[in-house]
Amino acid sequence: MRDDPSVVALVTRAANGDKDAWNEIIERYGPLVWSICMRYRLKNQDIEDVGQTVWLLLVEQLGKLREPAALPGWLATTTQRECLRVLTAARKAEDAVTLDDTLPIVDAAVIEEEILAAERNAALRTALGELPLRCRQLVTMLISDPPSSYAEISATLQIPMGSIGPQRSRCLERLRRSSALARLGAGEMRVKGTGDESHA
Amino acid sequence: MREDWDDEPLLTALRESLRARQNVPAWFTEAGQSAYAWHNIDAQLAQLTYDSSRDQDLEGVIRSAGTRSEPASIHALTFSSACLSIELEVTAHSLVGQIIPPRQGTVEQQARDGETATTPIDEIGCFYIQPVPRGPFRLRCKTRDGVDVVTDWFTL
Repeated sequence: MRDDPSVVALVTRAANGDKDAWNEIIERYGPLVWSICMRYRLKNQDIEDVGQTVWLLLVEQLGKLREPAALPGWLATTTQRECLRVLTAARKAEDAVTLDDTLPIVDAAVIEEEILAAERNAALRTALGELPLRCRQLVTMLISDPPSSYAEISATLQIPMGSIGPQRSRCLERLRRSSALARLGAGEMRVKGTGDESHA
Repeated sequence: MREDWDDEPLLTALRESLRARQNVPAWFTEAGQSAYAWHNIDAQLAQLTYDSSRDQDLEGVIRSAGTRSEPASIHALTFSSACLSIELEVTAHSLVGQIIPPRQGTVEQQARDGETATTPIDEIGCFYIQPVPRGPFRLRCKTRDGVDVVTDWFTL
């Protein structure tokens, strides 16, 4: 996933003035920046500060990133640094009296997991978005919260109850074969594929 | 590998992927999208070289003879680039600036969300920005003779 050609293409397009590509970068990796801010337990105001700084730095770096494929890692590192900056500034401002003595330490492994999750989630959303309409509707209903019953699915999508199971299998198979998911590394898949089940 | 991803874990992963995106508030995403307004700003960078609130000369720049000497209570900053510097004084109601060497032009105040406001620079290089900008911003000075300089982002 670290040499995902679609990331390189997005960065290149954004560097050449394509605003849609930029928005797609935000769409894909906004959750990564957000989740790291959450790990540092920042307040919304500080998250706004960190987010804006990170995106501005990225805008300035678009044409200069040495390895565009490493964008998720770059974003994670930059976000961490900015989180520590605002936390340090807050401590200075409040004389550190009301705050803990030490800055929060977020383990590198935790950040690495956030990067992997962000890449996995982005690939899953892309794959879902690329499904044919009928499949996308069906899968969207299957994963809705609360989950839709087969009766609801049957009524909404106008398919017989008996066809839902087979269609579901077909649609999920299509999803597995999508280029977005095919790009995900085998290791991540195994973690996802067996981890959940073994605890079920 | 992919065969390991059975239907139920796949559906769970899909649900999680949508939830991860839903957790991100719209204001956060919109701010990120707005940042693209600052793509390809082809101006020279003027860096902060003096900030009276830090009470020191950051890069050992000796302020040139003839510049005003302010009482300590006034917050003064200097941004320097190769071809001009921008001196700022923060008063209660406005931000007073002068570009050195003096020349006419415009100064654009830029907020990080893409908002801008433009103010003229008069013939002796002075400009007034009211009210004092809140939150992070930067200034882009364009002179009539074609110099284009943008400061670092800063917060007063």
